[in-house]
Amino acid sequence: MRWGMVIDLKRCIGCYGCQLSCKAENGTPPGVFFARVHKQEEGQYPTAQTTFLPVLCNHCDDPPCVDVCPTGASFVWEDDGIVDIDADKCVGCRSCMMACPYSQRFLNDDPQNYYGDQGATPYEQARVERHQTGVVMKCNFCRDRVRNGQDPACVENCPTIARYFGDLDNPNSEVSRLIRERSGFPLHPEKGTNPNVYYLPA
Amino acid sequence: MTSTNSGRYEQLIKDYQTEYRPQREWSEGRGFFLILGHFLVGVAAGAWLFGLFFQDKISLLAGFVLAGLGGLAHLANLARPERFILMMLRTATSWVSRGFWGLTLFLIGSVIYLPSLMFSDTFWQSDSVIADVGVVFSIAGSIIMMAYMGFVYTASKAIAFWNSTLHPVLYISYALRGGAAAHLLSLAFQGEAVSGGSDILIFWIAVTVTVIVLWIFEIQGALTSGEEAAVHSVHDILAGRLALYFYVGILLIGLFVPVFLMAGIIAPLSPTLFALIGLTSVAGDFFMKFSSIKAGVFSPVRLYSGNNRRATRRRKI
Repeated sequence: MRWGMVIDLKRCIGCYGCQLSCKAENGTPPGVFFARVHKQEEGQYPTAQTTFLPVLCNHCDDPPCVDVCPTGASFVWEDDGIVDIDADKCVGCRSCMMACPYSQRFLNDDPQNYYGDQGATPYEQARVERHQTGVVMKCNFCRDRVRNGQDPACVENCPTIARYFGDLDNPNSEVSRLIRERSGFPLHPEKGTNPNVYYLPA
Repeated sequence: MTSTNSGRYEQLIKDYQTEYRPQREWSEGRGFFLILGHFLVGVAAGAWLFGLFFQDKISLLAGFVLAGLGGLAHLANLARPERFILMMLRTATSWVSRGFWGLTLFLIGSVIYLPSLMFSDTFWQSDSVIADVGVVFSIAGSIIMMAYMGFVYTASKAIAFWNSTLHPVLYISYALRGGAAAHLLSLAFQGEAVSGGSDILIFWIAVTVTVIVLWIFEIQGALTSGEEAAVHSVHDILAGRLALYFYVGILLIGLFVPVFLMAGIIAPLSPTLFALIGLTSVAGDFFMKFSSIKAGVFSPVRLYSGNNRRATRRRKI
């Protein structure tokens, strides 16, 4: 089994629903975005257009972030190919952040909250308990949800159904079919990381 | 958020809005200690090798102390320094882990060898088997220390400017140049500069020429790599936010001043002048490492459709 994601750029409307649902699910602190949406301009007037590029950890088959990790904190789950971090082993050297071509790793430096002098909300306090500080964080395809038979939060909350999640090793899965039939492509294949997140052309 | 955290958050958001996001993790805040650490262990390894070759106790001692300080700087760079021992676990793939072993080997070897030179009456003799083991450990550690830094940067796939295969060779050359400078300082300290320093000066010139050639090749490689981020980094160094460090720190202080002093234009060669040459050379090396690390920018994440590359401009997250 090899979990993967397909993002249909034709359907994405740049609503940031994935980004917000990810934050709600994972309780990530300020400055940490497991699911980002790049808003981009292409072309020039009068043919200029705005496109949206949702980016998340690509859960590569050959993840450079895992190779450079000196402690083994970054690792790949053998049973499903998800790239994950063992926070108890991370020393916060940030090598993985320099190695990830998709800039999808973030250092949770100090305890932070979104409301300044008001202090942490009860929700944020609960979130802080879930995350160690001084360690690197990243998307793990909401592995706990997936193991319970649910889709990742960003997939389940996408209002336009632009995200699909499934087993890339199964040629009959929806993700495999979409990649095959609609010429799905990964980001930056020239980096040689063999990503497991694919995009369908707009 | 506290004001510090708020500032960092605002900076991150601002960085995401730029085309080429500068890496700050390894150059600002605690990241500065990584630059310092790499600088110190590079000079330490070079000083130790020169000390062994010329049997110079001061250089050996300087190498040991600088390596210790470099190790502490490396620890200060970690967000979780208390877990540092875990860094020994992944030598199969991680150059950071290999560097950790290199520094450990070096420190063990130098702790074994130095007493035989300094206090041979109390401890073992310098020609004993124990001292030889120390020498072997320390040389192996020195070589790893000189090389590992360049490989750490080369393995950083997100920073196109660092991906050059010349980077490790450049760092080895810089370590040797730093070692030569440290040995010059040692000779000056011992008042032996004029009699014993000419060989070192010739070596310094040779390794400096090597560094210049490698640097030019690296810049040329970055400019022709097809990686816009690498080109941006070169621009930052030569004509952008780091130009001051390049022209004043690297060229003026690290190259022109030592060569000027070496030519004996100001005064005849003397221990004081040799010390100045060593100091300015080492300072130039520091600025070199500082600017090349600071120049790293993340390659933009862009959309590719098959072979059709579509250049895009990022506006905001």
